[in-house]
Amino acid sequence: MSSVGQSVLRIDARSKVTGEALYPGDFNLPNQAYMKILFARRPHAIIRKIETAKAEAVAGVLAVFTARDVPVNEYGLGIPDQPVLCGPGSKKPDADRVRFIGDQVALVVAETEEIAEKARDLIEVDYEDLPVISDPLDAIKEDALLLHPDLGSNVICHYQIRKGDVEEAFAKADVIIEGEYHTPGQEHAFLQPEAGVSYIDEENRVTVVVAGQWIHEDQDQISHALDLPHEAVRVIYPAIGGAFGGREDMSVQIVLALAALRLHQRGIDRPVKIIWSREESIIGHHKRHPYLIRTRWGATREGKVIAAKVDLLADGGAYAYTSTKVLGNATLMCTGPYEIPNVSVGSSVVYTNNIPTGAFRGFGGPQGLFAAESQMNKLAEALSMDPIELRMRNILRDGSLLSVGTPLPGKVTLDQVTEQCAQAGGWKKTDKGWTKPDGLRIDRARENQNPSVKRGVGFATGYKNVGFSFGAVESCWATIELRGGSEIEEAVLHHAGADVGQGAHTVFVQMAAEALGVPVEKVHLIASDTATSDNSGSASASRMTYMAGNAIRGAAQIALEKWENEERPAVGRFEFHPPATTPFDPQTGFSKPNFAYGYVAEIAEVEVDVETGQVHLLNVICVNDVGKAINPELVKGQVEGAVVQAEGYTILENIVQKDGYCLTPGLSTYLIPTIVDIPEQVETHLLEYADSGGPFGARGMGEMPLLPLAPAITAAVHSAIGVWIDSFPLTPERVLTAIKEK
Amino acid sequence: MKPASFEYYAPTNVDEALARLAELGYGVKVLAGGQSLVPSMNFRLAQPPALLDLNNVQELFYIRPTSDGGVAIGTMTRDSQVEHDALIKEKFPIIAAAMHFMAHPQIRNRGTFGGAIAHADPTAQLPAVVLALNGRMRIRSQQGERWVAAEEFFVGPFTSVLEPEELLVEVELPPTPAHSGWSYRQMERQAGAQALVGVAVMVSLDEAGKCRSARIAFLSVGETAVLARQAAQMLTGQKPTAELIHAAAETAANVDIEPGGDIHCSVEYRRHLAEVLARQALTEAFERAGR
Repeated sequence: MSSVGQSVLRIDARSKVTGEALYPGDFNLPNQAYMKILFARRPHAIIRKIETAKAEAVAGVLAVFTARDVPVNEYGLGIPDQPVLCGPGSKKPDADRVRFIGDQVALVVAETEEIAEKARDLIEVDYEDLPVISDPLDAIKEDALLLHPDLGSNVICHYQIRKGDVEEAFAKADVIIEGEYHTPGQEHAFLQPEAGVSYIDEENRVTVVVAGQWIHEDQDQISHALDLPHEAVRVIYPAIGGAFGGREDMSVQIVLALAALRLHQRGIDRPVKIIWSREESIIGHHKRHPYLIRTRWGATREGKVIAAKVDLLADGGAYAYTSTKVLGNATLMCTGPYEIPNVSVGSSVVYTNNIPTGAFRGFGGPQGLFAAESQMNKLAEALSMDPIELRMRNILRDGSLLSVGTPLPGKVTLDQVTEQCAQAGGWKKTDKGWTKPDGLRIDRARENQNPSVKRGVGFATGYKNVGFSFGAVESCWATIELRGGSEIEEAVLHHAGADVGQGAHTVFVQMAAEALGVPVEKVHLIASDTATSDNSGSASASRMTYMAGNAIRGAAQIALEKWENEERPAVGRFEFHPPATTPFDPQTGFSKPNFAYGYVAEIAEVEVDVETGQVHLLNVICVNDVGKAINPELVKGQVEGAVVQAEGYTILENIVQKDGYCLTPGLSTYLIPTIVDIPEQVETHLLEYADSGGPFGARGMGEMPLLPLAPAITAAVHSAIGVWIDSFPLTPERVLTAIKEK
Repeated sequence: MKPASFEYYAPTNVDEALARLAELGYGVKVLAGGQSLVPSMNFRLAQPPALLDLNNVQELFYIRPTSDGGVAIGTMTRDSQVEHDALIKEKFPIIAAAMHFMAHPQIRNRGTFGGAIAHADPTAQLPAVVLALNGRMRIRSQQGERWVAAEEFFVGPFTSVLEPEELLVEVELPPTPAHSGWSYRQMERQAGAQALVGVAVMVSLDEAGKCRSARIAFLSVGETAVLARQAAQMLTGQKPTAELIHAAAETAANVDIEPGGDIHCSVEYRRHLAEVLARQALTEAFERAGR
């Protein structure tokens, strides 16, 4: 009997298909009131005055809340730099400023959504507009207006890496490649816009039913802003309609809790419900960081990369969110999966009046890797060397040192994913090394009659950390309760981890069943409620399977020991700590950045119409070392989902912001791939080289397949039409311009 | 979201429908397939006080040959029915080709042929196709009946010559002459989304292989579907050589149309696309005509 490695049916499959599963928007309570938020809808201004009398006078309005009503008017995952509500009257310095269009100014709670909306529109706000900074290059100018005067700088965070001597190495290099890369923002576009319900529960806790990625972090942020002890705040996740990093920061959590608490204090005990429209969702939550990356790489004629100098500048938008962590990842990834003896990196993320940027699947990795892999592909061209061959001469192996001076932990399989992906795509290994057959095609059956349509195949390799990086506190709890008499009748697993749609809860149950030696049907999961489970950390950083699996194994072992000792019920509670990591040294960047990694390589095949500039992604081959696929079908689903999201990122999706205003606030203007836009085939190869620290050998994998696709696609475009395109999305207009400039 | 409240009428024949239109005028909106109207009502962009639902008016669902060899399409005929109809396929294959780009199959199953014409969306395929096919519209009111050529029918974005008391009941497509050829070309960013540019082309050749007629109709380049008249004039009476087609496409893109720019597409790129697509479409259409 084995549960791990089986594609067991998702435990939530039936309820989601039949509609029984309740997402936050579906969750209703008797006698609930409805809330609407007044968003700033202007990018930079000081609020002189908020007049709420007319709104309060509307029949059916229960309350209007502003900054004065927030006990501690600040929040933020990294730096508490964001007011819960912007406006005068709170102690937070400069909380009377709005810094982006989605800043929240006032809350209206009413009998119906329509009344709340009508009253919201009657709130009068006296704004004094400030100059708008929409370009990060303007934000770092010496005389730039400060978005957060109290912080003294528009630079949120800066890192640097110094390894070896790059200038000396450039002097020795036979080939030098320079590039300037622009990577775009991206909207998470999860199916379920932000929504939730708040109420005071039977134990007098301010309770919020909402979708997020980390219940205990939500609880922490709410209790800080409301000035309540943790135990007075309860967070529950029902079914979650996608996250992708977009639910790591607060959206409706704090304001829902605030409304329920303040109503309660006024003697009104009614649940409060909110649902954001798609437009509110797009302006109201953060985006992927756009990056400007300038880089210079030097190599020997033999194809050994000896130097890399990289400067990165990221647009953090109005507030920090997870900017510091995203920047750390980009700083590490910008030299790619290669051992380069001389490296110099400088990276900064800055405040602007754009929509804040933060966590998004890949977390700085895709941005850094795009520059690195583009450089590698250009180097291969300059050296007349096959791109696989060049990679194999530089790839990180067991014991190789990263730019930050330490090796990757555990078994490194970048060589395996690279070679196996090349092989799957039709590359040949000869005595002279790897070669790509002329006119290589993945889809041999397809022929396009249009003579202006050219085909090309491109390659990229990547890797991504598992878990929190650079010294961040990292742990995960699990509790298992075994019930029965002579044999285990039921195993109850308590776990906080969020199932954001990826299938985490199913995988938890599988791993618990495996660790306990019982069938999955005997495992009962109680999940995602701060009242019943200990801190699991977030469903992010490709960490949930890895961290939860180790915690579950620990809890299972304790519970089984107690079971053997005849304890009934036998309860095992365990906190897993992975090996410690360390932050960047401020001068050299020396660090032990991560405790585990996953490895991935991808091939993209495209068609490019040279007359229109249209790029069409035909096929993708993804080779991903997942250590152990706990549930292979779910893993494949993650690969395919990541590929589609990466395709959107690279070709289609285009967030347009002008002077701090968003011109793409709906899914009719912000276009994402639909089922008719996605590649006809995603060929997934799962490799299972065990990670010694992973549960059952598993590595994380949720983000990895997103990383290499953008550079693989631009390499495929180059192989089709002979043009390097260093900015994306590959809008037809951009591609055509590049063709004309050739 | 849900629409604002509205009155609802569901007549079962045209006379009844026309009576209701005469009574309510601007106070009622005709509901055909509802694929554009209902979303805009749900978003509260449209808040008509009343809807006149034609889905029970059986006499408006038909595709039938006309005595001159053309085809008449009842206004309520579902797009997917037209798309897969054998007679349409035989006589007007350009319709099925254009419909491939029209939203998604689910929407075409419900959307109606006449509804898409009456809606007069400048980015829609069918107005341009009917313009290229030189179709005409049969319009009825309690006062009687009138016929309007496609060229006269569309007057602005989402605006046609239809008066509030009038109903578009039929679209009639005349037969195409011998040695005719067609082509439909379009480019969009996302499958099923608005075309950046689309072009429907109908040409015919005379016995000497010279262009007898050319109709080049664009979508997404102006306030209505636009006929490229000067380009057509350049071709008429001439041998359609590659050079001439090139020149005609250039004229079509630079003289006949006045496109605007938006976040998906600059004016320059839209003109470029118009030229490329017109050249490709004309080339293909003349090839087909010569077979």
